[in-house]
Amino acid sequence: MMPIWTKSGEKRAVTLLKVQDCHVLRYVSKEESGGKTAKLLVGGKNVSPFSKPESAHEIFKEAGVPRKQKVTTFNVTDNAIIKPGTPLYAAHFRPGQFVDVTAKTIGKGFQGVMKRWGFKGQPASHGQTKTHRRPGAISTNQAAKVYRGKKMPGKMGNIYRTSFGLKVWRINTKHDIIYVNGSVPGHTNCLVKVRDSKLPTYKDCNKNPPFPTFFADGDEKLPEDLFDEEIFQFTDPSVTYT
Amino acid sequence: DGKPPKFQPPPKPVIIDRKTQKEERRFLSPEFIPPRGRTDPLKYYIERKDMIQRRKVFNIPEFYVGHVLAVTTADPYASDKSNRFVGICIQRGGKGLGATFVLRNVIEDQGVEICYELYSPRIQAIEVLKLEKRLDENLMYLRDALPEYSTFDVNMKPVSRMDHEEIPVNKLQVRMKPKPWSKRWERPKYNIKGIKFELPEHKMKAAQKWSQPWLEFDLLREYDTSKIEEKIRKELREELEK
Repeated sequence: MMPIWTKSGEKRAVTLLKVQDCHVLRYVSKEESGGKTAKLLVGGKNVSPFSKPESAHEIFKEAGVPRKQKVTTFNVTDNAIIKPGTPLYAAHFRPGQFVDVTAKTIGKGFQGVMKRWGFKGQPASHGQTKTHRRPGAISTNQAAKVYRGKKMPGKMGNIYRTSFGLKVWRINTKHDIIYVNGSVPGHTNCLVKVRDSKLPTYKDCNKNPPFPTFFADGDEKLPEDLFDEEIFQFTDPSVTYT
Repeated sequence: DGKPPKFQPPPKPVIIDRKTQKEERRFLSPEFIPPRGRTDPLKYYIERKDMIQRRKVFNIPEFYVGHVLAVTTADPYASDKSNRFVGICIQRGGKGLGATFVLRNVIEDQGVEICYELYSPRIQAIEVLKLEKRLDENLMYLRDALPEYSTFDVNMKPVSRMDHEEIPVNKLQVRMKPKPWSKRWERPKYNIKGIKFELPEHKMKAAQKWSQPWLEFDLLREYDTSKIEEKIRKELREELEK
C-alpha cells in the first residue's frame, strides 16, 4: 500500500495490484454453463507443472499456456468474448474506472467468539468465576433449541470476500500494475480477482474502455504511466491555493 | 656497542584523499532503505522512482534529527495561502513515500509539534537553518525537558556552513522537568545519552533492572543494509544525473 495525493493536496491510500501472466483459458457458452451469460475461464500466475497430475493440465494444453496457480470465471456478454490463449494486461483497466476486488481473507485459525463475532464478553473482576470471554446465553427457554447459524467459536478467515466500488487511480503499463483506492482483502502477495464494479452507482462510469480487452500487439501505443485527472503527478510543481 | 644500529624503515606517508572520503560519507535519506518483510522488491523500486521524480522537481535537503528547519506549506485557510513553521527535528519516521518528520518549537509558552510528510505536494519549501546532530536519533524527551531547550526564534537566520565540513555533533546534556515524565527515559530500552539525569543513584541502578543485554547479540534481529544501500545509491546517482 502506498500514499497518493490529489491535485487539491488531500492524501489517499492505494493498494498496488500486479497483473502477472494472465491468460484466457476457455470459453463456456450460455447453454453449456446453464447461467444467464457466457463465461470465460481466466488463469493467472505461472507455476510449476510438476506438482499436479497430467489430467489437470488439459485446460492449459488446449489454450497453449503454462500451468496457472488460480483459475477463475468471469460472466461476460456475448460481444466481449475473447479467444482462449490471449494474454490479459493491466491496460485492460483505465484510470477513473471502478472495480470490485475479491480475495481470500487472512486466515486467523480457530478463534473465540469475541474476536470472531465481536461479542462483549464478561467483566474481568467483581466475582466472575472462570467466565471472561465466553458467549454467555445461546438461546431462549421457549425456543427449546439452538437456531441454525448461531454465532459460535470456529475457524475465522481464509474465505473469499469482496471490496466493492474501488476507484482505479493509476495504471503502469510497463510492469502491469493497477493502483486501486483503499484496502483490499488478503495478505501481501496473495492472488486477487479484479472485476468491473457491479454497483448501480458506477454502472455508466466507464467512458471508452478498451473493449473487449487491451491487445498488446495492436496499433495502440500507450505511455508507461496512465494517471487519473485528479491525481497529483510528481512532475508538476508543488500545490498552491489561490 | 660494536654492532650497527637496527635499520628503522622511514615512516610510510599517509595520503588522505578528500574526494574518496566525501564519496564514502554520501548521505542516503533513511526513507529509501526498504524495511525487512515479505513485500515484492518491485513495489519499493516503483516507489523509489516516484520519490526520485519528486526530488528532481523539489529540493529536499539533507537533514538529520537535531537540525533546525523552516518549512513553508500551502494553507487554504491562511490569508496569504502559505504557512511557515520553524522547529527542531525530533523524529524521522516512515519509509518510502509516506516518510514523515516531526518539528518541535515552543511558541508563546505553548509547545507545538507538527508532523510533516516529506513528499506531500503541499510543502513549498524546506530550509535548513542550523545544522547540528545530537547524541540521540530520537529527541522525544524534549517534551519533558525544560522549555528553553525547545525554543527557537521564528525569524532565525540560517547559519552558514561549508560543504565539505563534517556535520557537528552537539554533545548537549539536557536538564529535565521534575518527574513524572511521559516515558521513563532513564530505562536502558531508550538508550538516551543526551539527558543530564539528576536522579539519585539507587533510582538509576533500579532502572538497569529492565536492561536486555542479550538483544545486541540476537542474530535474527540483524539487518545488514550495506549492500542494499550501495545499490540504492547507485540507482539514485544514475537517475539524478539524467
